[in-house]
Amino acid sequence: MTMGALKTHPKVYWIWNHRRWCLENIPSGPAPAGEEDANGWKQAAWQKDLFVVEQMLNKDPRNFHAWDYRRYILSQIPKPPLPKTELAYTKAKIVSNFSNFSAWHQRSKILLSLWSSGNLDESKSKENEFKLITDAMYTDPHDQSVWIYHRWLVGNNSTRKVLEREISVISDLLAEQPDSKWCLESLVHYKRMLINSYKDAVDAQALTDECHALLLQLSEIDPMRSRRYKDIMSQLNNHDV
Amino acid sequence: MSIATLNIPLHVKYIQNLGKSDDELMYHLTAHLRLNAVYWGLAALCVMGHKEALDRGEMIDFVMSCWDDEAGGFGAHPDHDAHLLSTCSAIQILVMQDALDRLDIPRVVNFIASLQQPSGVFAGDSFGEIDTRFLYCAVNSLSLLGQLDKMDVGKAVEYIRHCRNFDGGFGSRIGAESHAAQVFVCVGSLAILDRLDVCDADTLSWWLSERQMDSGGLNGRPQKLEDVCYSFWVLSALSILNKLEYIDSDKLISFILSAQDPEGGGIADRPGDMVDVFHTCFGTAGLSLVGYPGLEDLDPVYCMPAKLIEKMGLRKGWKALERRSG
Repeated sequence: MTMGALKTHPKVYWIWNHRRWCLENIPSGPAPAGEEDANGWKQAAWQKDLFVVEQMLNKDPRNFHAWDYRRYILSQIPKPPLPKTELAYTKAKIVSNFSNFSAWHQRSKILLSLWSSGNLDESKSKENEFKLITDAMYTDPHDQSVWIYHRWLVGNNSTRKVLEREISVISDLLAEQPDSKWCLESLVHYKRMLINSYKDAVDAQALTDECHALLLQLSEIDPMRSRRYKDIMSQLNNHDV
Repeated sequence: MSIATLNIPLHVKYIQNLGKSDDELMYHLTAHLRLNAVYWGLAALCVMGHKEALDRGEMIDFVMSCWDDEAGGFGAHPDHDAHLLSTCSAIQILVMQDALDRLDIPRVVNFIASLQQPSGVFAGDSFGEIDTRFLYCAVNSLSLLGQLDKMDVGKAVEYIRHCRNFDGGFGSRIGAESHAAQVFVCVGSLAILDRLDVCDADTLSWWLSERQMDSGGLNGRPQKLEDVCYSFWVLSALSILNKLEYIDSDKLISFILSAQDPEGGGIADRPGDMVDVFHTCFGTAGLSLVGYPGLEDLDPVYCMPAKLIEKMGLRKGWKALERRSG
């Protein structure tokens, strides 16, 4: 019944919620032929809903109700699929459209859980992510989803080596796309991180000067947010050096 | 600024007519949001300085007719089951109309508090759907009634902390993607609970400022379309963080004004679409926060008239832009 309703109204909270309630109230039924586990019946119902939600996400890849519902199914399903399967799912979504921030978001959550559970080697998998995100940056440097994910990947405790490498990757892209706001904005962000975290090992004054020049350029090409750029400039003057 | 202006008399008339069109299909299709719609209408009228345009007595009677005596809360419509969304709207309306004497406060407080889950978040009703929206409704309502001590504040704050994402934003529940409306409910709750320290203010104000599109309008998530309602969700959070200057208010004002219906009144989600009371409320609310001339001040934490909240002693340290002269 709710399937028809969801097709017409894919963003109505109540319909999704009712579907949740139905799933939670499925009794342990007769085991299907050839299956000993009485939960097989339940598993089939949850599996079917995972399929339904995938159909919904094929239609609208950003529907956050569908993503929430997907996370809910994955956390409740009697026999969950391997976490790496979900990682592959987000990658398929991302590769078909780099602008799908919902998929990047889901990917960040899955990776965190895989890293903390030890199911995936963090440093190796990070390097793979950097490769993926660099491809995405070069494909569409104007897409903010990609830059937000990149910021997550670099994180707050990056090594100097990673920061400098990423600054160099972005500088190369900027040379090709001299008006790319996201290149400029990200360069400021990572250079400030270098100044703040590795003050004694870097030329802080030179980096500060570079940030100033980048912020001036940003104010010109992105005047809507010029107040923010001005605030960062005064923070640079007051704190960073 | 654009030459267009806010057509206050026309919008007031639009809101007045909403209550009269109960023979239209849309009226019945939106019954599940009726009490919320009354709140949106009243809030918009207050912002435009025409609170009296809807009859006070009739409005209070309608609110009271939505009381679900079995549950001890308000439904969205007479004979609907009580829900936290409509209960919050009912309390906001009764406070704005100075009619709290009509309310069985101990019972409604009990209803709200009973919906808090062991995790700290709130369910919307006894069916158990959880969402940070419901947490905000509970915090807002209990605070207006001076009964915040009836909930577990510490657990609620911890829940919000776990909803915070790496982009500084917040989602509808733990693990969910950041969304501007959920940012408002989480930041608003933290403001009421004096726990803004939970926000990563720099990252969040960056993410919020990036909601502004070239058209001047704001979107709710990266790479999505702009929509007038985010004028309130994004601006309220920015004003609570004292960073309203991080967007271009002239361009936003032009965008909101261009979404007005110049004939029938009301504001739509974006230019050319059908108007509704929800977007009329949040469009005018956004205009008030960026200092559009001739409007009343709005409290971004409660989305209620600022003077009233100040009089109740509930004002927090938010900053709106200075009111422009006409």
